[in-house]
Amino acid sequence: MKKKVVAIMLLSSMMLSLVGCSKDNAEANNKKTSGAAVFDGKLEKNVTIHVLENDTAIDKGYFKKLIDAFNKEYKSKGIKAVDANMDQYSDLTKDGPYGYGPDVIYQANDVIMKYVKGKHVLPLPVEEIEGYKEIPSSAWKAYETKMDGKTYTCGIPVNVQAPMLYYRKDLLPADWKEKWDDNKNNVPDMLETWQSMYKFSIQRHKEDASKYGYMKSISDMYFSSGFLFSYGGYVFGKNNTDPSDIGLNAKDSAKGASVLNQLASVMSEDCIDDTITTNAYSKLADGTYFATLSTPDMYSTFLSELEKSYTGISKNEAEKKAKENLVMTTLPTLPKSGDLTDNSKNEIPTKTMGGVNAYAISSYTKAPNASLLFVKFATKFKMLKTRADMLGIAPARKDVAKSVGGTSEKIYENLDKNNIVLMPSVTSVSQIWTPSQTFLIDIAKDPYRKDAEKKYKDINDYSKGLDEMCKQIDEAIKTLK
Amino acid sequence: MDNIVKKNRKRLKYKDSERTKCINNAQQDSMVHKKRFTDFWKNSSLSVKASFLIMGLAHLRYKCFYKAICYFLIEVSMILYMLIRGIDDVIGFFTLGTVKADAWARVKGDDSIVMLLMGIFSLIVISLFIYFYVQCIRSSYEMQLDFEKGIKCKTFKENVAEYLDKKFYKLALSSPIVGVCIFNVLPIVFMILIAFTNYGGTIVPPELVDWVGLKNFQKLIVLSKFGPTFMKILRWNLVWAVISTTLNYFVGIGLAMLLNKKCVKGKAIWRAFPVLAYAIPGFITLLAFKFMFSYGGPINQIIVAHGGKAIGFLDLDARSTSRIIGLLVNCWISVPSIMLLATGHLSNIDKTLYEAAKIDGAGKFASFRKITMPYMLFATMPVLLSQFVGNFNNFGIFYFLRGGLYNKGYFLASDTDLLINWLYNLSIDNNYYSIGAAISLIIFMITSAISLFIYVKSPSYREEDTFQ
Amino acid sequence: MLKRDKLDTVITYMLLILVAIIFLFPCLYLILASFSKSGSIYSFKGFFPKSYSLQTFVKLFTDTRMYNYPRWFMNSLFVATGSCILGTFLTILTAYTMSRFDFKGRKTIMKSTMVLGMFPSFMGMIAVYLLMTQFGLINHLWGLILIYAAGAPMGYLTQKGFFDTIPKAIDEAAKIDGATNFQIFTKINLPLSKPIIVYTALTAFTWPWSDFILPKLLLKEKNLYTVAVGLMSLDETQFARFAAGSVFIALPIVILYFCLVKNMVEGISEGAIKG
Repeated sequence: MKKKVVAIMLLSSMMLSLVGCSKDNAEANNKKTSGAAVFDGKLEKNVTIHVLENDTAIDKGYFKKLIDAFNKEYKSKGIKAVDANMDQYSDLTKDGPYGYGPDVIYQANDVIMKYVKGKHVLPLPVEEIEGYKEIPSSAWKAYETKMDGKTYTCGIPVNVQAPMLYYRKDLLPADWKEKWDDNKNNVPDMLETWQSMYKFSIQRHKEDASKYGYMKSISDMYFSSGFLFSYGGYVFGKNNTDPSDIGLNAKDSAKGASVLNQLASVMSEDCIDDTITTNAYSKLADGTYFATLSTPDMYSTFLSELEKSYTGISKNEAEKKAKENLVMTTLPTLPKSGDLTDNSKNEIPTKTMGGVNAYAISSYTKAPNASLLFVKFATKFKMLKTRADMLGIAPARKDVAKSVGGTSEKIYENLDKNNIVLMPSVTSVSQIWTPSQTFLIDIAKDPYRKDAEKKYKDINDYSKGLDEMCKQIDEAIKTLK
Repeated sequence: MDNIVKKNRKRLKYKDSERTKCINNAQQDSMVHKKRFTDFWKNSSLSVKASFLIMGLAHLRYKCFYKAICYFLIEVSMILYMLIRGIDDVIGFFTLGTVKADAWARVKGDDSIVMLLMGIFSLIVISLFIYFYVQCIRSSYEMQLDFEKGIKCKTFKENVAEYLDKKFYKLALSSPIVGVCIFNVLPIVFMILIAFTNYGGTIVPPELVDWVGLKNFQKLIVLSKFGPTFMKILRWNLVWAVISTTLNYFVGIGLAMLLNKKCVKGKAIWRAFPVLAYAIPGFITLLAFKFMFSYGGPINQIIVAHGGKAIGFLDLDARSTSRIIGLLVNCWISVPSIMLLATGHLSNIDKTLYEAAKIDGAGKFASFRKITMPYMLFATMPVLLSQFVGNFNNFGIFYFLRGGLYNKGYFLASDTDLLINWLYNLSIDNNYYSIGAAISLIIFMITSAISLFIYVKSPSYREEDTFQ
Repeated sequence: MLKRDKLDTVITYMLLILVAIIFLFPCLYLILASFSKSGSIYSFKGFFPKSYSLQTFVKLFTDTRMYNYPRWFMNSLFVATGSCILGTFLTILTAYTMSRFDFKGRKTIMKSTMVLGMFPSFMGMIAVYLLMTQFGLINHLWGLILIYAAGAPMGYLTQKGFFDTIPKAIDEAAKIDGATNFQIFTKINLPLSKPIIVYTALTAFTWPWSDFILPKLLLKEKNLYTVAVGLMSLDETQFARFAAGSVFIALPIVILYFCLVKNMVEGISEGAIKG
C-alpha cells in the first residue's frame, strides 16, 4: 500500500518525466560547442559540492564509496562532495532558481531534458569525459538539445533503464530441457517467446491454484506501451516531436492490446490495479510468481528480498544462492500475428519504452568547475564498474558493459539497436498517461468480466478502444493548448 | 385579528419614518463630511499640516513622544522599503518582468511569478501604510483640538490600558488578521490574478508571463469540453458535500451522546478507539483503506479464501461502490473529531434544563428533541458549515482512493472526482495554472455564494445570543 | 422501568463494541504489519502476519542512515508543539473577540472568512512556496510554524460557537465590578472555556503533525523532514517500517488525548452558570 503513494508520486513525476529527448538529429555532426562558458577550468577553492544521487545508490552503499574516493583524491584541492540529502525527485526548476537545489544531479533523460528547456542545467564539455567514445550516440542524443543553431549536450549518460524480465531459475520445471526447449538451444522457451510464457503460466496456475507464471500490472503504461510499440505504435509523429499526430493506435498496435489482454487472462485480478507492482518483490521471492517485469535498478531490491526468504543458511550462502536463482534478462519475442496461442514461429522483437540516466550539473551551482570534476570522476571506468557491480544496473558505456558482461551487455546492445524507445520530450506527453492507464485497466479487467459483459471480443474492439484513447489524448492536448 | 393588522400598520409606519430618517441621515452625513474637511483645513495647526509630510511631527509638538516616535519610524521604514524594493515591486506587478533569465549566460532575469506575488505584497504594505497615515493625521488633529481645550494627551500607560479594555478587540485581532492576510488572503489573491495571465503550459519561468485579460474565461466558454464535465462534477460534488456532511455530523453527535450516557463505564477507554482513528494521519488511513479495498488487499483475500470472486470496489466500472466507499471512509475519518467536539459541547449544556424538563414529565426523546438538538445545532452550526466547506473541497479522499482514472464522458476527470480533484488534474498534473485558476475562480464564486447564503441565514449568525 | 434500563445498557454496550471494532480494524492492520517479521504486507496469512518480531521498531530507531526517523520525530514534535501553542492562542483570541465584541466590520470579517475557506487551498500553495523563498524561510522549521499558526484563526468559527453559549451575564457582572475587557477574558472566560481550548489545542497539534503537503514543499533537506514527509519518502519495499512509523506517529496524539480528556469533558461547573 505504501507503494500506492510512491506510485502516485512516481506517476506525477513520470508525467513530467519519461519525457525522453529525441531532437532532430540531422545535424548532429555539427561541431559541438565545448559546454557553457563557466567551465573555464579554474577550479574553485574550498567548495562543497552537493550531489543528488538516486536512493538505491545511497541505500546500497555505492554513493558513500564514490564520495569517499572523490574526497580522498581532491582533499588537497579543498573540494569536497557531500550528499545533497534531498528527495531524489525534487524538482530543480522549483529549487534551483531560489538557491536550494543541488550542484550535481543524477536523473533520467526525460527529467534532465525537462530541466534543459528552461536552461536549468548546464551544457557540458562532453569531449573531455573519459568514456566519450565508449557511449553510444543514441545515449548522447538523448541529452542533446539545439538552441540558437548550436547543439549542446547536457548530461553524461551512466546507465540504461528499460523493462527487463526477472525470473526464478529454480522455479523452471525440472524437465524443461525436454519439454520447454523446442529449438534445443539450451534456453527455456518461455524466456524466448511470449507464447511459451503464456502456455507455461497457464500450466503453472493449473498445477497449483495459488501459483502463477508471468505477473505484471497491465495498467502500468511504462511497461505496457512496449507491446503497442512492437506492432507499429508510437507516441507522437515526426520522431516523437509532433503532438498533433498521436500514434498509439497506429498500424497493428491493436494486436499489442490483444496480447496484453491475453496475458491478463493468465494472471489474477491483481493485474488490474497496481497490486502486482507492489508485491512482486516478495511474491517472486516466495515463489508465487515465476516471472515479472521491472527495471534494472530494481535488481538489488529483488535480490535482497530473495535473500531474506532463505532462512537457516548463512548470509553469504543466501546471497550466493539468490544471485544464482534470480535472473534478469531481456524480453521474449512476440508472435507477428498478435495471438499468443499461435505457434507459427513467426516472431518479432519486443520493443520497450526506456530511458538513459545521467549526471548533469545545475546552472545555479556556485562551483561549476569543481562539479564538472566530480562528474568526470564519477563516470570513470573504475567507478562505473563498481556501480554496476554493486547495483546490478546496466552501464551505458560500452567498455564497462563488456567487462560486466551478461545482461548488461544485452541491454547495451538493445539500446544500440534502437529497440529501446525513448519517450518524447514535448510537454504534451503528460497527457498520455491517465487516458492510457484507463484503457489498460479496461482491457486488464475484461478477462474477469462475465462473458455477456465482455467489451473486447475481437481485434476491432481493441482498435476502437485505442482510437477512443487517442481521441481523448488529442482532445486534452488541443483543449489545453 | 384587528389587533394584528393595527400592529402591522404601526410597524409599517414606523418603517417608513425610519427610511426617511435614513435618507436624511445620509444627506446630512455627506454634508457633515464636507464641513468637517473644510473645518479641518481651516483650523488645523501648522504642525498638523506638517504631519502630512513628516508623520509624528504634530505628536511631537503636542508632547506625545512615544506616538511621535512610532509614526516617524513607520514613515522611515516605509520609505526605506519603497526605495529598497517597494517601487520595483509595484512596477513589476504591472509589467510582470521584461528581462528573460538565461542561466547559461548567468543572466539573472525577471521571475514573473515572483514579481506578481511581491507586487501584491507591496500593495498590501502600501495600503497598510495608508491606514496608518490616515490614522496619524486624524489623531494629530484630534490632539490639536484637545490641546486647545487644554486636555493633555493620553500617556503611554493610559493608551495601553485602553487597548486592554475598550479597544481590546483591535489588539486581539491585529496579529491574526496580519497573519491571515499574508498566508491566506495573499495566496488567494495571487491565484485569482493568475486567472488573468497566461502562466502555465510552456510559459513557466524563466519564460516571461503576461497579463491576458479575460482570454482564459473566453477559452472556457468557447471550448465545449469544459461545460458538460463541469456540470456533472458539480452535481456530484454538491450531493457528496450534503450527504457526507449530514452523515458525519449525525454519526459524530450520536457517538458523543452514546459515550455520554450514564450507564457507560470507562468512558475514556471507549472514547479512545475513535481517537486512535483520529491520531493516525489522514493520508495513511486513506492509503490503508485503498489497500484494503484493492484486488490484493485483505478484504478480497478473505472473499477469495471463502470461494468468492474478487470484487473491484474502486474499479473503473465501480462508480456507485466507489462513491459509497468514499462516503464511508470519509465518515470514518471525520467522525472522531466531531465526536470530540460534541462531547465538549454536551458537557456545556445547562444541566438544570434537563432537570426542569424531567420535572415537567418530558421523556428522554422529548428532552433530546427539545433541548439537546436545538442546543447542539446552535453551538455546532459553524462546525456543520466548516464541515460542508471541508467536504466540498475534500481533495484527499478520491485522490488517494481512486486516482489516475479518466472516465468516458468526463474531460480529464473520473466519475468520482470532485471539483477540487479536477482542478488538481488540470492545474498541477498538467501545469495549466491559468486555466485552473480561472475554473477555480468560477467554482469559488458559486460555492461561496451558496455557503454565504446558508451562513447568513443560519441562527448562529443571525441570533448569536440564543443560548444566553 | 429497571428492565428497560438494563436492556438499554446492553444495547449501548453492544453499540460501543461495534464502534470500537469499526475504528480499530484498519488500525489493527497497521499495528500487526509493524510487528510482522517479514516486513511485507503480502506475506500475511489471511489477516495476520506469519511471524512476529520487534525488529522493525528497533530498525526504525537505530538504522538512521537512509531514514532518520528519530530526527524526523523530533522535528515533527517541534513544529507541532510550536504551531499548537501559537495557533491555539490566536484562534481562541480571535473566536473570543468575534463572539464578545461588537465593532464595525465584524460581520464583514465573519462573512469573508467564511468565503475565504471555500477557496481550494492547494491552488495557493505555489504562492506560499514563493513567499517563503522570498522571506528566506525554506528549510526552516520556524517557517512552518509561522504558516500553521497564521492559518489557524481561519477555523475560529467552532470556538466562536462555544463562546456564544457562555452567558454574557457573567461578563456584565464583572464589568460592573470594574474589570477591564482583558481581565474578563483572562480571569473569567478563559477558565470557563477549558474544553474548547483543549479541543483547539488538540486539532492545532494534529494538523501539523499529520500534514505532509506543506512540509514537503518547504523542507528540502532530509534531516529537516517531519515524520509525515519522511514516511512518504520511504522506499516501497519498506512496508513494515512504514507501518511501524505510522503506529508511532499516532502515539503522541493518543497520549495527548489521555492527558487532556479529563479537561475536555469536564465542562463548565454548574455554579458558574448560575452565577
